[in-house]
Amino acid sequence: MRKNLYDTVIEWIPEGSKVLDLGTGDGEFLERLIVSRKAKGEGVEINPDLVTKCIERGLVVHQGDILDGLDQYGNGAFDYILLLGTMQELIDPQRVINEAFRVGKYVIVSYSNFAHLRARLQMMFSGKAPVTSSLPCPWYKTPNLHFCSILDFMDFCNDIGAKIIKSAYFKKSGQVKFLPNIFAEYAVSMIEKA
Amino acid sequence: MNEDEKSMFEGDLQDRVITKYHSDLGVTHTHTVKLPGFTTQSGYELREIEVSYQTLGKLTPNKDNVVLVCHALSGDAHLAGLNPKTGRPGWWDFHVGPGKSIDTNKFYVICSNVLGGCSGTTGPASINPDTGKPYATEFPPITIRDMVRTQALLLNHLGIKKIFSVVGGSMGGMQGLVWAIDYPEMVHSCIPIATCMAHTAMQIAFNEIGRQAIMTDPNWCGGYYYDKNCRPEHGLAVARMIGHVTYLSEYAMHKKFGRNLQRPPQPEDLFPEFFSVESYLQHQGESFVKRFDPNSYLYITKALDRFELLENRPAKEVLKNVKARFLVISFESDWLYPPSQSRELVKHLKRCNISTTYINLDTPYGHDSFLIKNPEFSRALSNFLNAEYKYITNNTNDNH
Repeated sequence: MRKNLYDTVIEWIPEGSKVLDLGTGDGEFLERLIVSRKAKGEGVEINPDLVTKCIERGLVVHQGDILDGLDQYGNGAFDYILLLGTMQELIDPQRVINEAFRVGKYVIVSYSNFAHLRARLQMMFSGKAPVTSSLPCPWYKTPNLHFCSILDFMDFCNDIGAKIIKSAYFKKSGQVKFLPNIFAEYAVSMIEKA
Repeated sequence: MNEDEKSMFEGDLQDRVITKYHSDLGVTHTHTVKLPGFTTQSGYELREIEVSYQTLGKLTPNKDNVVLVCHALSGDAHLAGLNPKTGRPGWWDFHVGPGKSIDTNKFYVICSNVLGGCSGTTGPASINPDTGKPYATEFPPITIRDMVRTQALLLNHLGIKKIFSVVGGSMGGMQGLVWAIDYPEMVHSCIPIATCMAHTAMQIAFNEIGRQAIMTDPNWCGGYYYDKNCRPEHGLAVARMIGHVTYLSEYAMHKKFGRNLQRPPQPEDLFPEFFSVESYLQHQGESFVKRFDPNSYLYITKALDRFELLENRPAKEVLKNVKARFLVISFESDWLYPPSQSRELVKHLKRCNISTTYINLDTPYGHDSFLIKNPEFSRALSNFLNAEYKYITNNTNDNH
């Protein structure tokens, strides 16, 4: 269901860009991005088995956590830093995004929308922490440390001195244009330092 | 314990007791060549040198498949396959051979004994042409750079102008780094494993204990023991025992030996307990003494200690011409060359815009993790070599 989101990210990145993908997994998306946008891309991944898979694809990848990964690079080494699906799992997202602005010009962040209608209704009527398709784990198993809505993310950007350049909102069946903070399950934004 | 784990525990191939061993390469040979010498970094003119080396696999017509393997402190030119004299496998037979990580069906693999060594390449035990006697301690102090220079002379002799990949662990990794810096146009890729940019005080300290063990052995005789009936074997054995402990991990040693006793107490024993780990270390020492020259141990450990990749210059300047693409590998359990040292190297490389992939493997067997049967390590190594080879064969107008 995240295919739409990944397609959007690829559309946003101009050909020949320099891209650093944080939390690159087995490198499938990074490889696709490099091939389809003729991008110069590198990845950061903490799991050695996944790093080995990236190596098999011929990708340049650094094994380490996200801050360690960013620390490897000099100022302005990349045009785009991708933080897809992991922001809510980071202990200190603000620090990571500030460091990402040191290394790259734009940061593309995706996250799950905690204020989605189904989550709101579950909270309202069952009185329990919501479990939905975009927030699939019960509270004690979720990798997410931070829950935020689309409006929360906007506030967050405001607070940390980041400017949102563009955003796209999604639900299972496709993009959401109307009242995204109610109807979108997840979102992606391109931000830069204000 | 599964099969992989069991074979990991059996350790490396250098000094362990081997009863039955099958090498897919069968018997392989090393060759020795005499080459015109050069002036060492210390300013000593070696008039001529001998280099012992092994080649495995076939060179492609466009000579694009050379993998140069650089050995560590106690290695030699006999990389893989069975030694015709001893019947023992080469030190990296687990990782080099047909279908292995360094696939001899695909790559032309070269390994040579380092300068200062004692397995066929000129070292302190070789005859000094000026005196007709072994150099002993008249041998000049050598450096990692001198070792690389020697390999470059060998490659020149073999008509090799391009190295697809230079691979080495520990001291071999240092040689790889020097290759990438000193011969930037020759080296397409470089795989430094469990290595560092310069020894720390602790690494120097362990080497110094080893050197002192040798030099305080009464049989050392200032290094001039070649014409005597005795060598500082005891000192070398102790040096090896200390070294060997630093190559392992607490986990590996405890899992392998625990507090097991080697045998029931004997009446002549001073202490009743003779632990298995003691017996193992004694075997390591004794076996090493048979194949290694004590003076070589002094010269090579000193070369390791004085190695300093940056030599107080800014990294940007030292690394500015490097064209190689890197795979840096470290092991979480390696406390002699800890991952932090590899990370420091990676950071310098990446900040100099050198294409660098880094992987830190969980293998719990310490520094020796690259010498043992190690499937995770094999996978990382072969994936990188295969992807890079595909990359250069797809880009025949290779321009980096």
